[in-house]
Order: sequence, then structure tokens, then C-alpha cells
Amino acid sequence: MSALVLPAKLDLSTVADLGATISARKGGDLELDAGGVTLLGGLGLQVLAAAAAQWRQSGHSFCITPRSESFNAALDHLGVSLNDLQSTEAA
Amino acid sequence: MSTDPMAEIKASFFVECDELLESLQDALTDMDEGNYDSETINVVFRAVHSIKGGAGAFGLDALVAFAHRYETVMDEVRSGRLEIDHDSLKLFFHTADFLADQVSAARDGLPEPDGSEACLQELEALMGDALPAPVEEDVSDFQPMGLSLDLGITDAEFGDFGLPSLDDGASENDAAWSLTFTPSDALYASGNDPAHLLRTLRELGDVTVRCDLTALPEFDALDTPQSYLSWHATLPGELDESDIREVFDFVEDVCTLELTRETQTTPEADDNLSLADLAPQVEAPPNSVAPTDIVPTEPPESEPNNTAPADNPAAAPAPVTPPLKGAPQANATAEPGATVRVDLERIDRLVNLVGELVINQAMLAQSVAEAGLPQNSKVMTGLEAFMMLTRDIQDSVMMIRAQPVKPLFQRMGRIVREASAAVAKEVRLRTEGEATEVDKTVIERLADPLTHMIRNAVDHGLETPDIREAAGKPREGVITLSAQHRSGRVVIEITDDGAGINRKKVLEKAISKGLVPPEANLSDGEIDNLLFLPGFSTADQISALSGRGVGMDVVRSSIQALGGRIAITSEPGKGTRFSISLPLTLAVLDGMVINVAGETLVVPLSAIIETATLTSDDIRSLGPQTNVIHVRGDFVPLYDLGAELGYRAPKSSYEGGIVLLTAQDDGERSALVVDAIMEQRQVVIKGLQQSYGHIPGVAAATILGDGQIALILDPADLVQNASGRTRGFDIALAG
Repeated sequence: MSALVLPAKLDLSTVADLGATISARKGGDLELDAGGVTLLGGLGLQVLAAAAAQWRQSGHSFCITPRSESFNAALDHLGVSLNDLQSTEAA
Repeated sequence: MSTDPMAEIKASFFVECDELLESLQDALTDMDEGNYDSETINVVFRAVHSIKGGAGAFGLDALVAFAHRYETVMDEVRSGRLEIDHDSLKLFFHTADFLADQVSAARDGLPEPDGSEACLQELEALMGDALPAPVEEDVSDFQPMGLSLDLGITDAEFGDFGLPSLDDGASENDAAWSLTFTPSDALYASGNDPAHLLRTLRELGDVTVRCDLTALPEFDALDTPQSYLSWHATLPGELDESDIREVFDFVEDVCTLELTRETQTTPEADDNLSLADLAPQVEAPPNSVAPTDIVPTEPPESEPNNTAPADNPAAAPAPVTPPLKGAPQANATAEPGATVRVDLERIDRLVNLVGELVINQAMLAQSVAEAGLPQNSKVMTGLEAFMMLTRDIQDSVMMIRAQPVKPLFQRMGRIVREASAAVAKEVRLRTEGEATEVDKTVIERLADPLTHMIRNAVDHGLETPDIREAAGKPREGVITLSAQHRSGRVVIEITDDGAGINRKKVLEKAISKGLVPPEANLSDGEIDNLLFLPGFSTADQISALSGRGVGMDVVRSSIQALGGRIAITSEPGKGTRFSISLPLTLAVLDGMVINVAGETLVVPLSAIIETATLTSDDIRSLGPQTNVIHVRGDFVPLYDLGAELGYRAPKSSYEGGIVLLTAQDDGERSALVVDAIMEQRQVVIKGLQQSYGHIPGVAAATILGDGQIALILDPADLVQNASGRTRGFDIALAG
């Protein structure tokens, strides 16, 4: 399984593409590389959370690794847990 | 989308920054004048805070960090913990200057300006022990809370941490704040992001934030730019409501914000905060906020949360605050009228098109006139209406370009601060007529010459504090910068209350440099004008700022290039005044079309006082080649335009000739002989500077209705550069 590298900024400017890219990987396990993420915004968070729920529902693995410090810090600021953004299998 | 929406939003943010910096300067100036009321201080705080908020949205970390530290100090002022005095105000100004530099650096992608850190440290030193650092430290300590599960913190620990003080018999006012924040689509579209806002919220203290994912649709139904999430936060009760709301004041129109005091707190409720269960748990937040609060589309007014007390009615009526929009009254003061930002290029294009319209209208008028139609014909009346309409359109377009000189004057405030610090003088800048509007191009091109003159005024115009004191003056010198409309032009004056021009020294220097013959007998005004000669300097040594008069010739050239003139008046011991007269616009002017030796020329109407036909009684000879005319008790020098412009030799007699009586800014009048006056009309200015440089006596050119090109004269410049036959030696120096 090749990791999908997330763009540096997960905000208005990238979420449409991000949603489409993730959508194209439906039906299989998906690993996201957030090592280069410098900004996780609310819209980016929506895409990841909705995708995680979808993957969870379909029984596939959805995990985010590695994660940059900025990404982890943003999760903190946004008041979400990594579990919200990963499928149960990967949590 | 092919264009980058973020880039546009960012550009818009920097425009807003300019406005915020302007209000910041205004408020600081108010404070400098002794107005320390809370609203003024709040304006300062808000301006800095808003810049920080916006910068955070774009990840401009250096700017955020700088603004944050400035804001922290201003918060101390706001809370009354830090007193304002002359020195601290100077520092506030200084820091505001650096903030402006930081904004510029962020906009242009430049490194942080040198000295920023030193400036901030100096500023923070004002607070001494009052530095509210512990709160900041607590914030960083607290940060892992949002990720409690990942970090191995148990729910019980979370609960203990989240609401530390509420078990201590807290009063109503100490009850924790409960906040629900629901961004709209527009919040994201405007370049803001909850990530930045919530991060800023965290900086307020022990804040727990929880994201509400319940409104999130299935992945396939997700419309990515649409906002689905909302956030709940619990904040310490001791925080000021205004502090919390200010985090969101940048986005108040594009979000729904609920802020209430918790009526009854049960720390155990936090056990519900198992973050893994967040999505299905929204109806059980750790406070009394009703579940309906989180519906993103619900207007804040309809929120029932303040009518849903817990089981203690007596304690229930905790102060419930209205939603954000109804809150801080102060917000209303900064609310400008409805405006729209337009790219300057588009306006320039419109101005050019209107210019062409004016020319075309003139051509049409000429054709109609040549067709010999009767005055009352439909074509003629229609044409008149068309001309009036054209004039209205033109005026309206020019008004779009017109800008108040205030931002320019504020920049000069900074120049004064820096220049006075460099030469250890105490200087206050007073500004008058800041609302005076001038064409934007004029304002932009005025900045450099004005800067130079202000520096000169600080460095040379004003005496040192000790000398001033010895002369019985206040130690603090005053430079007054004023703008006003006068006779269709704008007059900008820079006045200092210094020692005035040392004319003896100026003359000696001029003679020693060979600029003036030793035997020259110059009037005071002529000596003052020596300052404008290239390379002239009376400075015995070059100071940190400049040498005396260095660049005043450049200043004059710049002003002339704008179609303006500059004049000096000085009074020993009382000060010096530089007066700059500029056209309101560089695009059109009302002119009188005249004929001289077969050439069609235009003289700006604003320069003409009256016209007259000469009789033999009016004309007096003065010297072999000089004439004056007698006008209502005064003698006014006579200039033959045809001769001065080189079209023909001077006439032998001017009897029966037509003269235009013109006035210069210093009030001096001149009579210009012309052959015929054709008409008055509005003409479109077509600059000659770029192609031909400065032509003495000629301001620009225009295209007339018949397609002919006519020169637009600058009467004052023409007179100042007129042949020596009428004015003798001084003409070569003056002006």
C-alpha cells in the first residue's frame, strides 16, 4: 500500500483536490503521509474526518502516518483526536 | 480555479492592514494629545489585535509574533496595569512603526526588519514585573489537553484539568465560560480558519476545545468548501468577555458565536469527554449549553441556552451575554461605510477613457460649431447636455482617484519621530487638513519630497532644546504639516517654529561657492530661494540626517514635475514655512485657450485672476526693456508671452493688447500679453515630462477639439524663468 502524501496546506486551496484524490482510493486500505503538513485547517479536517468514517464503515484501514509536528499541534488546537481521523483498525 | 483565491484574500488583508495601521496611528496621536480614554486605548489594541488575527490566518508567523507581543503590552495599558507617560507613548509609536515595517516585510516576503526584537524588548521592559508571562506559560503547559487520549491522559485527568477552579465556591462571575463557535462557508472563503482562531483562543488561558463532528455528512456527500464543523470551548471564568470575543472579532460576520457563563458546573460531567466518542456525544457537552446551539445555521438570537438553567434556579441567572454582533459597542466606531476595493489600474483606465471622452466631446463640439447650426437647434442643446454629462462623469471619476492626504501625513509622523531621535531634538508634528483630498498619483509622488523637507525641518529648521530654551521657546519644537484646497489647487505647507533661515550665512555660502557674485544685493526672498540651487548647502558638517539644503533642488524638481510650485517664507527667530502648491489632479484642468503669434496655447484657469485690454494709460515703462501695467493702484510686471516663448520679438507697443492677469502662490501678480483669447474649456493633460523633461514655462500638452496639440503653460514657472530683461539678476536665482 503506497502512502498518499498530503499537501503542506490542508485548507480551502487544496481540499477539493484532496477530497478527489482520497475518493479515488476508495475500496482499499489507505495510508496518508502527513509528515509535510504545515497547516491543517477546518476544511482539511472535515475531509479527513469524513474519509476516516467512510473507511471505518467499509472496514478498511485508514491511517495517518507519519505526522508532522504542525499536524499534531493542529489536532490539538482543533480539539480532535487522531482516532477521529483514522479507522478503528488503525487507531 | 486558475487564480489563487488565497492570494487575492491575502492582498485584501494587506489593504486592511494599511487601514488598521492608520487607525492605530490616529489613536496613538489622540493619546499623545492627552486623550487616554478607554475607547482610544481599545482602538490601539484592536488594530494590533486585528492585524495579528489576519496574519495568523495566512501563517505570517513573524508578524503574528510581533503583533502578539505589542498587543500584550497594550492589553496591560487597557487594563490599567500599565500607566501611560510621554516615554511609553514614544515607544508605542516606535513599535507601531515597526509593526508597519513588519506588515510590509510580510507583504513583500522580506526578512524581518532589523531592530524589531530590540524594540519589543524595550516595550516589554515597560511592564517590568507586571509581565503577564505566567498565563502564557500555562498555555503552553496546557496544550496537550486537546489530544488527551493520544497522549495517554485519562478522562478523569482531563476533567480535573479542564475546570480547575469551579469547585471553590465560585461566584457567578467566576463561572466558566462556555463557547460555541460555528464558522460559516464565508469564514473559510475569506481566508480565515478555525485552526488559527482556536489557537489564539488557547492563548487566553486554560481552554479546552472540542470539535463537533456531528454535522459532517458522509464522505461522498461532502462538499469540500462547505463548513460542517463547529467547536465547543470551555474557558476560565476570570477571563473578560471582551477578551474572548476579540479573538473572533475579525470573523464576527462570518460565524455564529455563543458565549455564556456556565450556570452550574459538575466537573464529573467532563467524564463524557471521551474524545473517541466525540461525534455522537454532542448532546452531552460538559456544560449547560443546549444541544440546539450547535446547529450551524441557527441564528444566534434564537439560542435558548440562556433559558435553560441547570438545577439551581437561584444561581442560574448568571450574566448571559448577547451574541457577538450585539456586543462590543466599540466595534461600531471602526465600521466604515460600504466600500469596494478596486484595482488602481482599472481606475486609471477609466480616467484615460474619460480623458478620451472629453477630447472626443470637444471634437464633436467643434464639428457642430463648424456646421453652422443655430444655437437653439436640437443638436446644439443635445450637445450642451452631453457636455454637462461629460463634466459630471469626469468629476465623478476624479473623485474616485482622490484620496485624503492623511496616510501621507501619518508617514511624515514617523519621519519626524525617527529624525528627531537621530539628532536628539524634541519635536512634535501637528497636522491640519488631513481630510483634504488629492489625486492618488499626486499623493504618491509627494512622499519623497515631503520626507526630505520634514527631515530638513527637524535637522536644520528647529534648534536644539537648549538653544530653544535659551531663546525663551518651549524645548519641544513644533512642525506643522497642513493641507488645504485653495483656488482649485491643493496647498501643502510645512512650517517649523525654529530659528528661521540664517540669511547672512546662506548668502555667504552662496558667494563662497560662486553661486552669487560678491556684490550681489539680494532681497530676503531671493536669499531664501538660494536654498533651491543645486548642491547648495550651508551645513558646516553633515549631520546624521542631511546637510543643509542638500536635495532641495531635487525637491523642487519633484514638485515641478507634478505641476506644482514651492515657495519659502522665513522669519528670523520664528521659523520657516515651505509652501507647496499642487494641482488637484494630473488628468484634466480647466484652461483658457489663447493664441500667441499664431500658436494655440492653454493657460490654467486657476492661475488667471482677470483679463483686460490695455490702454496707453495702463502701461508704464520701467527701464529700457521693461514694462509694468497699472492695475487698480498696483504696478504689475508685464510679460510678452510671444517673446518669452521665443515665437517672436517683443512688440514695440502693447496698447490695445490683451493681458491675462495671473497670481502666484506667494501673491505676486504678473500680466501676460496674449494675442487673442479663444475660449475656456476643460482639457485633458498629456504629460511631456517623460518625453521631453521639464520645459521652462510649459506644464504639459493637450489635444484640442480639432485634433491640434496645444501646450499648457505654467504661468508661475514662465514668469520665474522669464528673460532677464524684465527682472534682472535675481530671476536666474529665484524659483
